[in-house]
Amino acid sequence: MSSQRLKKLSQYGFLAPYALAFFTFIVLPLFVALFLAFVDYDLATQSPPRFVGFDNFHEAFQDQYFWMSVKATLVFVVLGVPSTIVLALALAVGMHAMSRGRNFVRALIFLPGMLNVAVAAILWQWFYNSEFGLFAHLLGEMGFEPLPFLSDKHLVWPAIVVMTLWWTVGSSAVIFLAALQQVPPQLYEAASIDGASAWRQFWSISLPMIQPVLLFILVVNTIGAFQIFGQPYLMTRGGPELATRGVVQYIYETAFNNYRLGYGAAMSWLLFLIIAVFGFLQYYALRKMQR
Amino acid sequence: MKQRPYINWLMWFTAASFLAPLLVMVLISFKPEVEVLNPESVFPQNWTLANFKHVLGWSEEAPFLQWMLNSLFISTTVTLLVLVFSSTAAYGITRLDLPGGGRFLALVVITMMLPAQLFLVPVYLILNWMGFLDTPWALIFPATAGGFGVFMLSQFMKAIPKSIEEAARMDGCSSFGVFIHVVLPLSTPAMATLGVFTFIGSWNDFIGPLIFLDSVRNYTLPVGISLYQTSYYTEYGLTLATSVLSTAPLVLVFAVFQRQIIDSLAATGGKE
Repeated sequence: MSSQRLKKLSQYGFLAPYALAFFTFIVLPLFVALFLAFVDYDLATQSPPRFVGFDNFHEAFQDQYFWMSVKATLVFVVLGVPSTIVLALALAVGMHAMSRGRNFVRALIFLPGMLNVAVAAILWQWFYNSEFGLFAHLLGEMGFEPLPFLSDKHLVWPAIVVMTLWWTVGSSAVIFLAALQQVPPQLYEAASIDGASAWRQFWSISLPMIQPVLLFILVVNTIGAFQIFGQPYLMTRGGPELATRGVVQYIYETAFNNYRLGYGAAMSWLLFLIIAVFGFLQYYALRKMQR
Repeated sequence: MKQRPYINWLMWFTAASFLAPLLVMVLISFKPEVEVLNPESVFPQNWTLANFKHVLGWSEEAPFLQWMLNSLFISTTVTLLVLVFSSTAAYGITRLDLPGGGRFLALVVITMMLPAQLFLVPVYLILNWMGFLDTPWALIFPATAGGFGVFMLSQFMKAIPKSIEEAARMDGCSSFGVFIHVVLPLSTPAMATLGVFTFIGSWNDFIGPLIFLDSVRNYTLPVGISLYQTSYYTEYGLTLATSVLSTAPLVLVFAVFQRQIIDSLAATGGKE
C-alpha cells in the first residue's frame, strides 16, 4: 500500500517541471503585480517598496498622459479591429469562392505574419517616409505632393492600421476560411433554388453559421489591439505629439525608463480592466444578436 | 456553387499585393545606397551585395551574427523545453489521473486569457531577483510557462485510446515507459505543430528582449534590427538587408510547413 502511494506520488514528477515554471512565471507574477500596484517602488534608488494604498491608481486617474495613452489606444482599437474583421471576412469569402489555387493564395496572404514586428515596422516606415519613401515616390510619379504619413496627427493611425492589416489579417482570414468550409453546402444549394442572391446567402447563411468563430476572432483581435506597442514604438516612437503612444508604451516608459515599477503595475491592472470590460461587452452583444 | 473565374483573378491579384512589400524589401536590399535614396524604380540598376557584406561583417556596435546565434540558441532551447515540459505535464494530467490534475489544467487555461502586458513588470522584477536579467535565460524560462502547449497536448493525448496503453502495461512498461514508447510517438503530429509555433513565437518576440536584455551583444534579432534602425536611420539598404537575413530562416520554415502551420491555426480558432 505504501509503495503504491509512493508510486502515485512519484508520478507527480511528470507534472513538476511545467508546474514549477507555471507557478514562478504566471502565478507568482500575478501576486507580485498586485503587490506592486499598491507600493511606491523605484528600482533606480534601490530603496525598499513603500506601501501607498490606492495612490498609484489615484495618480493614474489624474495623469493626463495616462488618459492620452488610453485615447490613443482606443483610436487604434476602433480603427483596427473592425477593419481587420471586415477585410479578413472578405478575404475568406473570396478564397472560399475560388475554384483553383486557393491554398497558394492562402499561403501568400498569411506570409507577412511570419515577419517579426521590427522587420514589418521598418519596412513600412520606409514605404511611408515622406522624403525618399516608396509611397512618396509613387505619389510624385502621379504628380502629387508626398504625404507626411507618419508625422501628421490625422494620417498616422490610418497608416499604422494599414501596415498592421497587411501584417496580421492573414491569420484571421485563414480561421474564417476554415469556418466557411465547415458550413454544409446543401444550405447554399437550397438557398440558390429559392433564388437568394450571393449577398443574401452571405448574410443569412454564412455569417450566422460562423458566428462562434466570429466572436473568437473579434475577442482575440480586440485583446491584441488594446496591447498595441511594437508598430508605433518602432515607426513613430509614439509621435507625433504622443498621438500614437498607447498604454503599453506608457507603461513601458514608466516602468523601464523611469523605473517606477509600482505605477507601471497599477496602470497594467487598469488596462487589464478596460480589456476585460470590452471582452465581456463583445461577448454579450454577440450573444444577444444570436437570439 | 457557380464557377466565377473572375474571383480567381481577383484573389490572385490580392495575394500578389500581399507579397509585393516583401519582394520590394528583397529588391531594395540589393541596391547601392544612392539608389535607395533616389529611386528610379524598385528594381536595382546596379545589383550589389554591399549591404549584406556590411551587415555580416563583424562590428562591435551591431554584431549581426552574434544576434543570429543568440536568437537561434534562445528559440531552440525554448522550443525543446516547451516540448518536454508540456508533453510530460499533459501526460500526467490526461493519462495518469493524478488527483488535482484536472483542476490544475483549468487554472492553466484561465490564465491563458490574461493579456501578456500584465506580466511585463512583475516578471521583470522576478528575473531581477533571480539574477537572470540580460542573459538568455530571461527569455527562456518565462517562455516555458505559457499554457498553450499543455492545453493543446492535453486535448490531443485525451483522445488516445486507453487500450493501447494497457497493452504496454501488460508487457511490464512503467509510467515512464508508456510515455516514451506509446504516448509520445502517437503525439508526434501535435508535438510538431507545437514546436513550430513555439519556435516562430520565440524568434519573433520583440517586447521580451527589449525589456529583459540590456547589452547589445546579448540582443536577439528583432531588437538588434530595431537598433540598426536607430543608429543607421537613413541607411534603409542596410536595415532592409538585416531584415531579409533575419526573415529568411522563418520563410524557409514556412515554405516547408506552410500547410501544417495554417491548418493547425485554423483548427485552433474553430474549436473555441
